[in-house]
Amino acid sequence: HPWETVTTAAMQKYPNPMNPSVVGVDVLDRHVDPSGKLHSHRLLSTEWGIPSIVKSLIGTCRTRTYVQEHSVVDPVKKTMELKSSNISFTNLVSVDERLVYKPHPHEPDKTILTQEAIISVKGVSLSSYLEGLMANTISSNANKGREALEWVINRLNAEIEEFAASARGTMRNSMAAAAFVEK
Amino acid sequence: MNSVGEACTELKREYDQCFNRWFAEKFLKGESAGDPCGQLFKRYQLCVQKAIKEKDIPIEGLEFMGPSKGKTEDSS
Repeated sequence: HPWETVTTAAMQKYPNPMNPSVVGVDVLDRHVDPSGKLHSHRLLSTEWGIPSIVKSLIGTCRTRTYVQEHSVVDPVKKTMELKSSNISFTNLVSVDERLVYKPHPHEPDKTILTQEAIISVKGVSLSSYLEGLMANTISSNANKGREALEWVINRLNAEIEEFAASARGTMRNSMAAAAFVEK
Repeated sequence: MNSVGEACTELKREYDQCFNRWFAEKFLKGESAGDPCGQLFKRYQLCVQKAIKEKDIPIEGLEFMGPSKGKTEDSS
């Protein structure tokens, strides 16, 4: 899909069926900087499907995790960069992700996404079995991310189709009504 | 999609609709001047800030600025 489509979808990524744990999205700040780039700071609230009995014991507040996301969209250079990191109450494990969307250099109707993640435990980078495990999860999540955007793009297109179809229907109805009146 | 503050969800939806339209139809086409969503954003922001304080969410290095450059923050 072209970069404009992907970027528009990325701004409306949630909710989507591939990320059911994201339950809330809020914009904390948004502004266009002097060079024309749009900066957005967002807060994502996630809920990890903890059994309700556990929730009732420890309360919903403790089962929510939050992710802080900073995105920059440059409409001239056509780049969108997203940096996100989880806000952890215990500061035990932190995951920082960086995604960059750019138009494909040779195929203008396609977009390239590069994604990287840094996993740290108490400020020290992991290099062990746990890292391998999380890296696998993150790379399968990267695929999920692509599927999620695909889903959003289809939804947006369907909405446009529906709108166009109902507009045509309305026009036909008003033309028929006008013809009836003229008789 | 809901807001972190349940009471803010409606305000968020109104702002989101305005923003998504502006983003796709103006900003990406190079017309970033003018911000039709400023008022909606302000109202939505006040609600969110309150909710974050109430829920004690530790957000670092956050400054709640206005939606477009050049706007000065008025203290309440």
